[in-house]
Amino acid sequence: MKFFRKALIILIMPLFAFSGAHKFYISVTNVDYSEKDQSVQIITRIFIDDMNAVLKERYGIPSKLGTDSESAVDREYLEKYIRTKFLVEINGETVKYEFIGKKYDTDMVIYYLEVPDVPLKNLKQIGIQNEVLTDIYDDQQNVVHFNINGKKKSHVLVKSHTKGMLNL
Amino acid sequence: MIRIKYAFASVLFLFVAVGFAQEVVTKEKEPGHNNQSKFKQLYEEFATPNTYRSASGAPGPDYYQQQADYVMDIRLDDKDAKIFGQETVTYTNNSPDHLEYLWLQLDQNIRTKDSKALSKNGSTVKQSEDTEDFVKKYITESFDGGFNIDYVKDASGKALPFTINFTMMRVDLPTPLKSGEKYSFDIKWNYNIPDHTVDRARSGYEYFKEDGNRAYVIAQFFPRMAVYSDVEGWQNHQFWGNGEFALPFGNYEVNITVPADHVLDGTGVLQNRKEVYSKEMMSRYELAKKSYDKPVIIVTQGEAEAAEKGFSNKTKTWKLKAENVRDFGFATSRKFIWDMQAVKLGGKDIMAVSMYPKEGNPLWEEYSTKAVAHTLKSYSSHTFDYPYPKAISVHAKNQGMEYPMICWNYGRPNEDGSYSDRTKFGMISVIIHEVGHNFFPMIVNSDERQWGWMDEGLDTFMQYMAEQEFGELYPEAIAPNGKYPSRRGDPAKIVPYMSGDQSTISPIMSNPENVFQLGPNAYGKPATALNILRETVMGREVFDHAFKTYSRRWMFKHPTPEDFFRTMEDASAVDLDWYWRGWFYTTDFVDMGVKNIKKYQVAKKPVTGDLMSKVFLVSSDSESYDPALDGINPSETSKTLKEYMMDNMTEAERAAVKEPKYFYEITYNSPGGLPMPLIVEYTYADGSVKNITYPPEIWRKNSKEVMMVISSPTELTNVVIDPKMETADIDITNNSWPKKEQENEFDKMKEEIKGK
Repeated sequence: MKFFRKALIILIMPLFAFSGAHKFYISVTNVDYSEKDQSVQIITRIFIDDMNAVLKERYGIPSKLGTDSESAVDREYLEKYIRTKFLVEINGETVKYEFIGKKYDTDMVIYYLEVPDVPLKNLKQIGIQNEVLTDIYDDQQNVVHFNINGKKKSHVLVKSHTKGMLNL
Repeated sequence: MIRIKYAFASVLFLFVAVGFAQEVVTKEKEPGHNNQSKFKQLYEEFATPNTYRSASGAPGPDYYQQQADYVMDIRLDDKDAKIFGQETVTYTNNSPDHLEYLWLQLDQNIRTKDSKALSKNGSTVKQSEDTEDFVKKYITESFDGGFNIDYVKDASGKALPFTINFTMMRVDLPTPLKSGEKYSFDIKWNYNIPDHTVDRARSGYEYFKEDGNRAYVIAQFFPRMAVYSDVEGWQNHQFWGNGEFALPFGNYEVNITVPADHVLDGTGVLQNRKEVYSKEMMSRYELAKKSYDKPVIIVTQGEAEAAEKGFSNKTKTWKLKAENVRDFGFATSRKFIWDMQAVKLGGKDIMAVSMYPKEGNPLWEEYSTKAVAHTLKSYSSHTFDYPYPKAISVHAKNQGMEYPMICWNYGRPNEDGSYSDRTKFGMISVIIHEVGHNFFPMIVNSDERQWGWMDEGLDTFMQYMAEQEFGELYPEAIAPNGKYPSRRGDPAKIVPYMSGDQSTISPIMSNPENVFQLGPNAYGKPATALNILRETVMGREVFDHAFKTYSRRWMFKHPTPEDFFRTMEDASAVDLDWYWRGWFYTTDFVDMGVKNIKKYQVAKKPVTGDLMSKVFLVSSDSESYDPALDGINPSETSKTLKEYMMDNMTEAERAAVKEPKYFYEITYNSPGGLPMPLIVEYTYADGSVKNITYPPEIWRKNSKEVMMVISSPTELTNVVIDPKMETADIDITNNSWPKKEQENEFDKMKEEIKGK
């Protein structure tokens, strides 16, 4: 299953297109549970140029994520932006998550978020509110795949519908 | 002996048990069932072949198609962004039927204020809404689009009654149009041109506020004859936005009047080049016609930038003529830079053309025409020589849309001229895709309104091949990538879709309006299915011949899905009913695994009587398995075998034999529903590797499980199914024996962070 999960995020590619072949705006997030670490582990893949565009538009910084001239400020704003637009809810309450790290894969940035100390027996419901990039792209699709304790569910979140849930 | 007796006894017992079981079952007998086999023939899904369409998949002896010829005068009002047209349609009824009325497509009517298409997806209240969206949704009036029809008249000028139903218009004929007859009539119309960057219209203008100019890409812009065919009668599925269009072939003579400082290009051959080109442009054009390796600039960036500063109140009329096309489109602006080069194909010179505002540079001057030329060559080599005189790629923000000989493509650098790899490869890919649409569906004229995948899927498959070939031809253009980073086509790339929630996926054989995810449904999955068919199921040689046969049989004709499916089988002698059924008619997915491996050795058994001629194999979990016999030649273990070999083989033959010493019975399973070839890589203790591809037919009788026996001189150490990920297997954790522990990506990231 672990590899499968990895395959899912690596091989995202366009889930939506509109006509002949429009440029597509998409991110893919996988929400898994680690029994070993008793934590909810989240991996998101999103286009680097879209993230640079939103940081520039929103905060007015000349963001250069994913290039040699990426700065600490860029990284700081990336985290700030994600924390504003990406919320995790457990059993109906918004919870804090840790920003574990990020890496790049060709034109994508992959970031890793973790909600620690979540015993499986207490996990009744998990929700993701994902508004990332919907503030600059009306067509942004944020796909969220839950896979927790063998229970799977996928959501295609859009600007008018930004929250996906999984009941356990 | 004792053991053998026991075996006999157990066989007897089995019979008894079966007998007993049957007795019990008679009381509640299982109900019968219909044919559930994945290999069931497709006779129920396919229409019965007839004289219009043959069982071979070729057009039948009575195949017919209608023709619609147009003579049009078009005028663009650049001040108010309006377009006016007057057209004479000459419709030829080649069908055996008499037609009481004619239907025309009015695609622009999808943009009327009260368009039904606006509510097709339902709507929900948003508790927090961007102010701009709120104003647009609740406060301001929506865009006043759609056709205004001034009149429909017959050739003598007499008004003809017409009725508009949403995006279609019926013209009632005074007397039915008989089979074999022609009918001419005139329509006068106009509409407000939409801003295509808003709500993603497929055509319209982009407004550049810095210089106050518009760049127009105009298509689906005049009342166009609908298709009348042997399979649908009049095409009657309205234009809801996703299902693009199909139209009859015909000849076009179009005069387009635009501001005098515009440059224009469109479907067909320009008839009055000397009138509309400057002397400078004329001489550059002559050079371009002879330039086969790189484009020649016809209008430079400097000239385009100079033109941007003016606004001519004079006009110029551009006259275009096109033969045997199914539609007409054009692009016009004073902002366009223009370049062209020649491409030699089948002994003919074809012009590869690009038009783009300065906002597209430096990307467009470098890659657009190169991509157009490459597409024409690559697609022609897989189908037929491109039959039209030119192919134009026009840069329009966010657009990717195709028309005969002309298409609009996205790919815009940042304001400072820099661009990401995503922008660059996105641009090259979309140009290949849209220029490629000339082949499917502009020439092989399938019905996109009904079957989006027939043009999008086939085109995306061709696009994948063309992209890979582009990477091989221009390694410097794709560096540092080793191969072109195609977004679709590789089997592994469709896995997330095919493994997704069943409630959000539809079979490929669905109308494009009714699918949940049009991208993978009409583009990615059929493209991947064809790629797998070519690389893994049929092989390139067999596939390519069949695919070419389909393209040639149906060029300048209207094929249906069955014509494609049937031709692919007819021209290859591969019965693919199981493949079409699984990949195109269902949402099943591929998941194959290795479930169990049982090891056997040749047993050392003293045998007599009837059993003397047998060789016995025992499994490693049996008591009589002797580890000491591992690796011993069976002829040394089994006296029977030894005697047989001595009696039937010469000494030299015996010496040459490399006896297998290990025997394995391997159980493969298929938790997924799609039967596929089972590709297995066997690795042995001596390091040797053997690849075996078992045909998909192994899943005929039991689609869930199959056993295979292999024997080898050295011990088997590893079994991997589909080692090169060719089948879009959605779960590869069950593909290996012994089971591999896969590394957790999250743990890996944690490790990396710790290291820092």
